Amino acid sequence: MGLKRLFLRMATIGLGIGLMTSAALAANLRVLAWDGYADPDWVKDFTAATGIGVDVVFIGSDDEIWAKIKGSEGQDFDVFAVNTAQLQRYIKADLVSPIDITKLANQKEVLPRFRDLSQVSGDTKDGKVYGIPFCFDSIGLIYDTDKVKPAPTSMSVLWDPAYKGKVLAYDNGEHNFSFTALTLGYKDPFNLNEEQMAAVKAKLVELKRNVLSFYTTADEAQQIYQNNDVALIWANYGQQQVKALQKIGAHVAYVNPSEGALAWLDNWVISKGVRDNAAAEKWIDFMLSKKVSGELSERTGFGNTVTETGSAGGNDKLVWLNNVEDPLKRSDMWNEVKATP
Amino acid sequence: MQPAERRLSLLVTVLAFALPVLFVLVPLAIFLGYSFFSVDQGTIVYGLSLGNYVRFFTDPIFLPVFWNTIVLCISVAIICILLAYPAAYFLTTLEGRWRYALLMLLLVPLLMSYVIKIYAIRSILGLNGFLNKALVAVGILQQPSTLFVFNMNAILLTLTLLLIPFAILPIFLSLERIPQVLLRASDDLGASGLQTFLRITLPLSLPGVASAASFVFVLAIGDFLTPQMVGGISGFTFGRILYSQFGTAYNWPFGAALSVALAVVVIAAILIGERFGRNRGTSI
Repeated sequence: MGLKRLFLRMATIGLGIGLMTSAALAANLRVLAWDGYADPDWVKDFTAATGIGVDVVFIGSDDEIWAKIKGSEGQDFDVFAVNTAQLQRYIKADLVSPIDITKLANQKEVLPRFRDLSQVSGDTKDGKVYGIPFCFDSIGLIYDTDKVKPAPTSMSVLWDPAYKGKVLAYDNGEHNFSFTALTLGYKDPFNLNEEQMAAVKAKLVELKRNVLSFYTTADEAQQIYQNNDVALIWANYGQQQVKALQKIGAHVAYVNPSEGALAWLDNWVISKGVRDNAAAEKWIDFMLSKKVSGELSERTGFGNTVTETGSAGGNDKLVWLNNVEDPLKRSDMWNEVKATP
Repeated sequence: MQPAERRLSLLVTVLAFALPVLFVLVPLAIFLGYSFFSVDQGTIVYGLSLGNYVRFFTDPIFLPVFWNTIVLCISVAIICILLAYPAAYFLTTLEGRWRYALLMLLLVPLLMSYVIKIYAIRSILGLNGFLNKALVAVGILQQPSTLFVFNMNAILLTLTLLLIPFAILPIFLSLERIPQVLLRASDDLGASGLQTFLRITLPLSLPGVASAASFVFVLAIGDFLTPQMVGGISGFTFGRILYSQFGTAYNWPFGAALSVALAVVVIAAILIGERFGRNRGTSI
């Protein structure tokens, strides 16, 4: 008897799941986002408020977003999250639709520096808005408060011989050329001419001689920090990395350098194949609400465009990442830097 | 033979040839093909050219790194042999069950994830790591040294540690295959233990040493993760350059050309190992 009941229950559950998925297929909003951008409780609140069901697919890399959107020519998703450096590529490939910001009531309430989207590099093209920024973080400097005194204000401290062998840098040519260009005072760190490239390269060779090692993941940096005498970390993973280090009891602080900190800025965009434009607009507007934006920062440590957070204050100079002039050349030159004895 | 049986054996033969061709030779051929392509603005241009090879031989960064990496891996192979030989020899002196129990213990590290081992070794070698603490405690060092981590030494140490099991096994097998009667005959004829070792055991175990050396060398030279994780700023190896062509640079054709250069060295190492192995082996 017990067995029969079990079968019956399994069949009911199976039927239930079947019904749910078929309901989901009807006309739900299809969202593609990074983990942390569409938490289940927000999705539930959104559906309760608007009556629109949502299917979320999470991705793990920029390349994956591109593969999914380009692979279906934008037909598989209505709305997705992408950073400003990447967005231009989608606009060029005609995979995204312009957004009518008059439909987004909450966009008028965002922090002043995100109100005029034509001032946010990468979000507009030919006067049309394609991306609505909602979340960001800087790539700043982590320093050990016991070892680095006074508190640094510029990345130039990474070259300070006093910290020779105590600097952790990041193993990525593109970013390293950009931040060094900023340190050298170049206006556009993403478009360097030959002469500037050579100067940056020479400067990076100098940096290399002050560095203990180049890391790639946040975990790796943390492990190296624990087993060695590290004073400064070029923080590719920003706030996330600071939080993790503080959790293990490290005395570290975070600073955005005065010459400008590289920063990424994620946007909500509407795909070319959007089925219900109004639903997509509602989703974006909902994500820009004070409540969701505030919670996003609380949960991830990232900054948001609606409420001020610890991630980067209004006075910090952030330089939004952009496509660089020639990624291949930067990668080759970075290998040359590493191969220089 | 029955027709059905014949058909089955034909099928097995075809499969035996098809699998290596499909999964080894074809991918290698595709790779070789790629090495003649080029990249323009992030997309691969499918026109044949020797540009990648010209760049490999003329650009001042590749050949020195290539050469240094080969020297590094030869050193790893030599150190592995010097450490593995006594261990394998000791194993063969053990009797019965102990011999294999201990052999298994020596091979246990192979069951662990390679990445975890690198992490562990790196924390041992670090400035606040076990090695430095031990050396300071014993009084050999005045203060912790950065000699062991984030340089070529670190790669050498780590690779040696990771690859020693691959050296022990072939040496052990070749030592074990030496007929006991030869050793006893040598003893009967009045040779000392050292003489027996130098004139019987050592020459007969050289095939094992040769294959151990080529194993270790080949595994070491193909590794990019160990140098990436413990090499720091001065431990820049060919594997890391190769890796960057596929990861950040998106220059698959040039990466393929570099792989071909690496493959030539690897094949040479395997052929040398095999040649020494066979010659000595058949002379018994």
